[in-house]
Amino acid sequence: MVIVMKNRTGQLKIQQMAFMLIAVTLFFVLVGMFFLVVKFSNLKEDATGLCEKNAQLLATKLANSPEFSCGESFGSSKVNCIDADKVMLLKENIAKYSGFWGVSNIEVRKIYPIEAEKTCELGNYPDCNIIKIRSKEDTSAYLSNFVSLCRKESYEGTVYDKCELAKIMINYEYGEKC
Amino acid sequence: MLSERKAQEEMVGFALIMIIVAVIVLIFLSLSLRNQEEEIVENYEVDSFIQSFLMYTSDCADGYQPRYRTIEKLIIDCNKHETCLDKRNTCEVLDFTLEEIVNEAWKVEGDRPVKGYILQITSGNSVILNLSNGNTTNNYKNSLQKLGKDDIEIIFSAYY
Repeated sequence: MVIVMKNRTGQLKIQQMAFMLIAVTLFFVLVGMFFLVVKFSNLKEDATGLCEKNAQLLATKLANSPEFSCGESFGSSKVNCIDADKVMLLKENIAKYSGFWGVSNIEVRKIYPIEAEKTCELGNYPDCNIIKIRSKEDTSAYLSNFVSLCRKESYEGTVYDKCELAKIMINYEYGEKC
Repeated sequence: MLSERKAQEEMVGFALIMIIVAVIVLIFLSLSLRNQEEEIVENYEVDSFIQSFLMYTSDCADGYQPRYRTIEKLIIDCNKHETCLDKRNTCEVLDFTLEEIVNEAWKVEGDRPVKGYILQITSGNSVILNLSNGNTTNNYKNSLQKLGKDDIEIIFSAYY
């Protein structure tokens, strides 16, 4: 009789443990499923967002690359500063940079002072406000970042630095990176 | 003796549950910290805007032409109540130029994504400039930059 009672208590304990294990496993499975659902429901939005951020960072990276940046030509080294004179020369030699940045279009557009839209060529520079460094046909939206567009100006024979507010605008090559 | 053992077992079980809960909390904490890093990247545009407009060359000459003040210099000189070569007040030039720059860079009219902005420049407790346009919303990007030794702070917030 005593043996039967002991067996029953043991069985009960095993049952208790089994139920507990099932409950714990179910809890973790449910938490995991909830987490996965939340994570994967935003996956596409996250991918688009990351792509945009990446492009925005690329715009900043481009502005600070040696081909674009002011360096120390306008005093101390500055961030987000584009040398307009340098960029105009780069525009003329852009064929040498084919596939270098992985972007189809690069444009620097002056925002302020406000002027009528005029694309820059060597003939009309600096009386213009859009420098099209690379322009291929592309339907994807431009991604941009603010920059300071600086150049050397002359006033009665004295050279001085003139910086204006501009935006560097890029879009990826046929959306391959996005 | 038997009840003591049972109590010990329960204690061990409780400790295990506490450890599991702590691990889960840690996982959620690390996830939330990752999200904060993303926000820093999103503020790039506002950061770049402040850095870029600070370098803008105004038409306010400092002593002689063509030694024109940048916006950064205008802010510092406005705080010292200095004037331009043509006797204009540096604060007036700063106010006019920055209003035009911000209006052009962050257009708020119509169906544009930007609904409003606030630009505040302060030196300690005194306000040098306060510009705002449009509406404020809960979705915004902002940036703060400090200038020079005079405790000058530039805060720009763009609302979406």
